[in-house]
Amino acid sequence: MLFFSFFKTLTNQTVTIELKNDIRIRGILKSVDQYLNIKLDEIEVLDLDKYPHLSSVKSMFIRGSVVRYVMLPRSEVDVGLLEDATRREAANQAGKAR
Amino acid sequence: MSFFGFDTTLPRDRQQGGPARGFFENPDPFAEGARAQALEDDNGIDFEDTYDGLGDQLDDDQDAFNDDTFGGADAGPSTGAVGRDFDFFGTTAKVADVIGEEQVRYALQNPSAAPLDAQQKAAAPAPTTTAATTTKRTGYEKYSEPGYIPDLQAKSSVWGVSQKKPEPIPAASRRPMMSLEEVEAQMRQRSQPTATMPSHSIPQHLVEPSYLQPPQYSQGVPEGFPAVPPEYLRAALEKGVLPPGMPGLPPGIPELHGAPVMSGPPPMHLQQGQIPPQNLPPQGHRHAAPPQGPRQPQQQQMPPPPSARGPNGGLPVITNPQQLMHLTEEQRNAYLVEDAKRAKRNHKIFLLSRGNGLMTPQDKNFITRIQLQQLVAAAGNVADADPEAVLAEDFYYQVYSQIRGAPRQHPHQPLGHFAQTYLLQTGNRLGGHGNRRAFQSADNHMQRMQQQVQRAVEAAKAKPKNKQLIIEGSLGKISFSNAKAPKHMLNIKRPDSSEGPRPKKVQSDLSLSDRKSILTNIESVYSALMAMEDMERTMPPPPEEGDADAIQVHMEWRQKVHSLNQKLWRALKVMEPIVPNSTTPHPFIAFLSYPKGKKAIPRIFRHIDQEQRVTILTMIVVHLDSLDVVRLAQPGPGEAQPSIAVRESIDLFSLAVMPSLLGYVNEAPFNIIIGLLGLVIAQTHVQSVARTKVGLGILTMLLSRAEIVKEAGQAAERDWQQWVEKFNVLFDTLEPTLADIFPGAINTGDDMYVWQFLAAVGIGASPEQQQRLVIAVKDRVMETVGYSKTLPADMASQRLGNVNLFMRAIGLDVELLG
Repeated sequence: MLFFSFFKTLTNQTVTIELKNDIRIRGILKSVDQYLNIKLDEIEVLDLDKYPHLSSVKSMFIRGSVVRYVMLPRSEVDVGLLEDATRREAANQAGKAR
Repeated sequence: MSFFGFDTTLPRDRQQGGPARGFFENPDPFAEGARAQALEDDNGIDFEDTYDGLGDQLDDDQDAFNDDTFGGADAGPSTGAVGRDFDFFGTTAKVADVIGEEQVRYALQNPSAAPLDAQQKAAAPAPTTTAATTTKRTGYEKYSEPGYIPDLQAKSSVWGVSQKKPEPIPAASRRPMMSLEEVEAQMRQRSQPTATMPSHSIPQHLVEPSYLQPPQYSQGVPEGFPAVPPEYLRAALEKGVLPPGMPGLPPGIPELHGAPVMSGPPPMHLQQGQIPPQNLPPQGHRHAAPPQGPRQPQQQQMPPPPSARGPNGGLPVITNPQQLMHLTEEQRNAYLVEDAKRAKRNHKIFLLSRGNGLMTPQDKNFITRIQLQQLVAAAGNVADADPEAVLAEDFYYQVYSQIRGAPRQHPHQPLGHFAQTYLLQTGNRLGGHGNRRAFQSADNHMQRMQQQVQRAVEAAKAKPKNKQLIIEGSLGKISFSNAKAPKHMLNIKRPDSSEGPRPKKVQSDLSLSDRKSILTNIESVYSALMAMEDMERTMPPPPEEGDADAIQVHMEWRQKVHSLNQKLWRALKVMEPIVPNSTTPHPFIAFLSYPKGKKAIPRIFRHIDQEQRVTILTMIVVHLDSLDVVRLAQPGPGEAQPSIAVRESIDLFSLAVMPSLLGYVNEAPFNIIIGLLGLVIAQTHVQSVARTKVGLGILTMLLSRAEIVKEAGQAAERDWQQWVEKFNVLFDTLEPTLADIFPGAINTGDDMYVWQFLAAVGIGASPEQQQRLVIAVKDRVMETVGYSKTLPADMASQRLGNVNLFMRAIGLDVELLG
């Protein structure tokens, strides 16, 4: 649940998402669910020339499994906390595996 | 007798489970109401209220058309075989839905009508009680049976009927062919002997089409009573004076539903007068198909006749023509405006309420159940929604939102409470209706929902935990997944836990300072830290005196904290023996050479005592030479400053470690400061240490603390002598290299820390030493002053300010250099 927990903190921030088909979309992250499906508002497609069919799309819902990268606003990430959260997650996983 | 084959005996008269159920194969939906009444006397549903009294109204001699309606005896030889197993329940249920929806819509359109309910009940028990029945019947009765699962198929009747519902086709409009003569004849025939007259026929010939209300206006007309008080109409009719151009209501009747109160005879009266004409279709046009049959009682119960709703229904609200006639032009206009407004508003309401009632309560309930189950699946068990579990699963989000304090939508709500919040909101919405019955049902609804959630949780718990299923003979395996444990793409067999940690142990014993073991150390420090921070959160409240239990709890807690502290201390490896001239750095110094090791220091300092702090400080001072931020910070030959990576780690050290050290030093006793300075001189290569930012920083720290102690007069004479000795050694060692401690040339970067150090030295120095100091750094001072003249004002003043730090310490000022 770490990623879910993490992305939840980024709601209402501008992120750039690169899909597995190379489309990159910048928009405001409206919500994310446990499958890391993503809802974006006020989107803007980078390289719009290549994907003219997206020029009129204003918001979208992205299935989590097609996302390759999510580019985050650096200032919105608390690295120390994220490190700790990662440690906890690892400890949880280790606890579960046993 | 029974109208539709309803069992009309009261529940109390009926034998439980007897054959009296008739064709109802499903449990009697009213039975719950009766039971509730038995339990909570008048709070619940009173059967007398809910019973519509239809059976009482019906006369046996007026069931002549039952056969027509239900396709009885004369329906032809082929249909004669139709048995009694006809789907009466289905058709009846349709009507019940329609009635219920009508009622809801009525309540929506006439928000103030609720109190009137009582009046109506008093005046006309028969028509309104039917409506009351539908209100009280919440539709959830079936859900009180634990095993009940609603029928999942979409009932076509739900959609079909409710789409038709907003405009139930009145009898009159279904027979548009009725000619004027026919109507007149009919009216004449009726108006003579009896008191009342079917109001629906009036508009057809009395009202000019131009004054017809738009059809949607009729939506606002309450359906529980006649829109047109009959006596007025009759009077008007008899006099022949319903003046054209008199639309709308007289101002004396501000509210539509005020009408029945004002009109004298109770609608009951009216209704009885009206049943026969509607039951007897004139001109034999009536050949009601069976599905239309059940509609008929509705018309009986709702006398508002076509005039109020049909497409050709006009002026439904003319109540008092005389009153209208007496109005002045102005009043009339005002009235008309108001009327138009009302019509507009009603139209709006109608538009908004178009979707109302499309879903039955069962449908809604079903969907809510799905949503709740999703919620439960997403949140895991509601049962383990205690803060600890939530924190474990959702640590980053929970803490982040606490830190940043940004309740964007609802983030402070732990996930498990989500479902509860949701339920509460639902309750508020339903309860907001204001009327008591709605509130009650909402209450029950919530309880049911909570029970459902609980059941769902239990079901989820009971589900086998098997992650996958291999069906015999199949080539693959089916793996289950849920939101918390997504399907595994890889199935890696974990090594047994007995084998796992062993090789690691061996490795870490091999060397204390190889990269891997250092990182392992750092991680163990962090896990100890997190455990301690968790402990801090769960600190029991300070025990009150005499509360043995609380004291016991507190003692246990402190015990735990102490053992964790020991664990942390061991993990830090500060106490590892110092091996002189060893090639590998001390484990603690190695620990500090990693960024995350540096970052851990402030957190560590919060959890250790003073003695441990001084140990750490001593350790750092002793190894000042070998600290990465000192060792690597020496700029190589030909390099102005260290590499970017080193500069970054220096910055990190200054930000993370130095404040902790400074915080300790500022409270440290003087003898410790003296000792530390002695260590610096004895153990480290002072001249190279002084050429680094961190080294200078630590020296500045010690010198300024000594000065503060001296200023405060806390230093014993003997201590001070010791200090001065050490200081003199330091000064003599540093003096030759004082010009070199500045970072690079004059135009590179920040040299403030150097001036700070010089100031600290200057304050503590004797006048003779101060002079030597000035001579040593005179060139740099002059250079800086000259250079600052070429800089923009703010930067110049900053540089001069730095220099002034030092100048003032020795009693000078840059201004003097002018």
